[in-house]
Amino acid sequence: MSIIIDKDMDIESLPDRIRRFPFPFSGDTYRYSANVQPANNAAATDVGSWGAGVIDIDEFYLDELADRDRILRRDPSRMQVLPHMRPAVWDTVATLLPTMAEENPDIMSFHREGNNCRWQNKLQNLDVEFTVGDDDSLPDGPLRFLGTQIQDDIVLLDIRDNTMWLDAGLVSFAADWSFGFDVGMSFMEIHHPVPRVKEENIISRAEQFLMRLQPGEQFRRTNWTMTIGRRLDTSTETYPEWGPDRGTIANDPDMPDKLHLRVEVQHLIRLPHTGVLLFLIRSYLLPLRDIAQVPTWREKFGNVLAELPEDMAEYKGIIRYRKAASDWLLAG
Amino acid sequence: MTVAALPISPHPAVDGGLQLEVTNVSPQTDSIVSITLADPSGRKLPSYVPGSHLVVQYGGEGVNAYSLTGSGNDPSEYTISVLRVEEGAGGSMAMHRLTAGDHVYVSRPRSAFAPASTATHHLLVAAGIGITPVLSHARAAADHGTTSSLIYVYRPGAGAHVDEARELLGPALTECSNRDSFQTVLTEQLTAQGVGTHLYVCGPIPFMDAVLDHARELGWPSARLHSEAFGAAELDEGEPFMVNLVRSGLRLEVPAGVSLLDTLEKAGKSVPNMCRKGICGECVLPVLRGVPQHRDLYLTDQEKAENTTMMCCVSRSEDPELELDL
Amino acid sequence: MRSASMPPAAGTGLEPGFRGVICASFGTGDTAKLHSDGQPKHDFRFDAATPEALSQLRSALGCSKVGVRLLLAGPTPDIRAAAAVAAECGLQQEEMTLLSEEAAPRAIYCPHCHSTTTTLRVAGSEVRCKGCGTNLTTTDHFSRRMGAYLGYQAHVEEAS
Repeated sequence: MSIIIDKDMDIESLPDRIRRFPFPFSGDTYRYSANVQPANNAAATDVGSWGAGVIDIDEFYLDELADRDRILRRDPSRMQVLPHMRPAVWDTVATLLPTMAEENPDIMSFHREGNNCRWQNKLQNLDVEFTVGDDDSLPDGPLRFLGTQIQDDIVLLDIRDNTMWLDAGLVSFAADWSFGFDVGMSFMEIHHPVPRVKEENIISRAEQFLMRLQPGEQFRRTNWTMTIGRRLDTSTETYPEWGPDRGTIANDPDMPDKLHLRVEVQHLIRLPHTGVLLFLIRSYLLPLRDIAQVPTWREKFGNVLAELPEDMAEYKGIIRYRKAASDWLLAG
Repeated sequence: MTVAALPISPHPAVDGGLQLEVTNVSPQTDSIVSITLADPSGRKLPSYVPGSHLVVQYGGEGVNAYSLTGSGNDPSEYTISVLRVEEGAGGSMAMHRLTAGDHVYVSRPRSAFAPASTATHHLLVAAGIGITPVLSHARAAADHGTTSSLIYVYRPGAGAHVDEARELLGPALTECSNRDSFQTVLTEQLTAQGVGTHLYVCGPIPFMDAVLDHARELGWPSARLHSEAFGAAELDEGEPFMVNLVRSGLRLEVPAGVSLLDTLEKAGKSVPNMCRKGICGECVLPVLRGVPQHRDLYLTDQEKAENTTMMCCVSRSEDPELELDL
Repeated sequence: MRSASMPPAAGTGLEPGFRGVICASFGTGDTAKLHSDGQPKHDFRFDAATPEALSQLRSALGCSKVGVRLLLAGPTPDIRAAAAVAAECGLQQEEMTLLSEEAAPRAIYCPHCHSTTTTLRVAGSEVRCKGCGTNLTTTDHFSRRMGAYLGYQAHVEEAS
């Protein structure tokens, strides 16, 4: 792998938000693919890396958690647990908290004796004790609590009758979909609106792959779209608030600062005790102006936007401004 | 440490698994022994899905799968029960020779007989050593506050875990020692289950087939029927074969249990790859001669039939030798 | 299977241990056309999938046993609601048959205020949400659990 960087670019001086950004493009075009790979190893980018662990905690930690809290207070439908998924929620808590403690031993710790657990998180001056299986032992229940500890959105897929079902989750930062509406749907039903994937058979292949994962196995993939403003909640629920920007951004002089590449790092983890598939979605936003600081990124992303077929641009909601964005990036 | 020392290297089926110590061996019946395994340094073991099995390596070569009997919630030890099979491949005989202090290689627990999360009642049916995974189901159900009932068929004096089953299930346990009484009980129970019930059966294959057939005749749809099928969820290790790399002038042997991709990498050939599970499509290789045994999810049926490409992370060969454009 | 000595379950007229066919029709829906292969059959007739109707169906399924089958006939929103209740009770997809009336109204879910509006218009057309008055674009994204199609506010991106 060769790294081509402008001679005058000083990687060391780039801010963390760029050096840790999971830039998703390896070439000048993009198509849907089952781009899964084993989790827990650092992926190098031209200026840094990402993905050494499962749960990434960054400079936006407290801000994003406060944002989530506001969203959930306003719209409780962003969190739902169908009754049969309660054990899977506990399985998630009992899997992720120890993982976070291992990945961040200086700021977090987890201890378990039988079902009694103690969790400490110095970033929030938090020290709590709870009992696995007892929903009342954590404030607002285990899933809501986990949502105050990680920036990722949480989706739980049950596997029954050779099909995956979206039966629980906490999704405050949806990228143009409605978690509250999709709860209870099968994996195929959820992806029904995505163009091309039916013809290309990607969803059923992905489903087969995920159902064959053994408990404890951890994989990841990336997905991307674009977001106007540093706004994580672009759910269908709040579409009337953020949708209008799509019609005006192309002519906005502040486009390079307002328009963001949004990358989701999705972790796919088969939970050990329930066998439920945990789908973590961590969303990263980087404005065009930051992307342009890395010449290879500016060029690749500019080309991807220019080449992307109409139906995919339409589905991603970027069709009204992708040309403006591409032109700006490629004008360098 | 006794004579039954750890094999020199782990078998591919237990690679990436655990190295455990035998902490207890206790006879269940004349021919069934329970073996308890724990981490030698006392660490917790991975939780597992009820009904899971462990692949255990015995001797230097062989591996066998055994059901775990616990609930699977945050275990500090794993317990399996092994029936001695005199005419078998030797695995059960080797397992019966284990004593406390011996070390064994085991896989991580593998799930192929999971409970249905939506079930409000589990009807468990076991014959003989088939008790082991359903005992795990009964324990997990009790943990989660769902109910279960068990029909357990065994020859008098040859029943493993009978006392545990009685204690765990009380009146929800029905013990049968002959075929006729079992048929009566089975019919009674199959016609008396609420619509939240799922059925789980484990035992000899003809026994499982008979139970499942009977359930279907009484109107049970397949979504409610679960049977233990060891290893159904995993790929078997396959036969060894040769690959001839035409451009490199290399000839390599791909042993059983080792993937073509691993073999190529060990020989210093780098092949782009990502998932190593036959789904992402990165490790595609052009095939010049020979018929690949396609085991991937990526190629279409038509592409597979053409036999001009293969996914080297999971696919193998139908022929003794494959010629690759590499 | 049927025993004359068993009292019917309260309110449903269904014998405990029922393993035949439950036929539920809504509005003008008709399950009579269908044979039940000589199996015991129990009929329910409802005007619509009201909470009372769904609760009767729930208790009928609650005293039925595995082997039971459910036939639903009527307007799509009603039989979808009934099917969702049956699934919650533990009934499997293979155990239900849905006979939906053609040209029946579709339920549209508004994600902005979480209410549902019925319409006879096809996917892609617009409907006014009876909850918040928003003009919704209707899609063909369907939830079995909600028995509804997803809508979203129309013309948002065409502003100014």
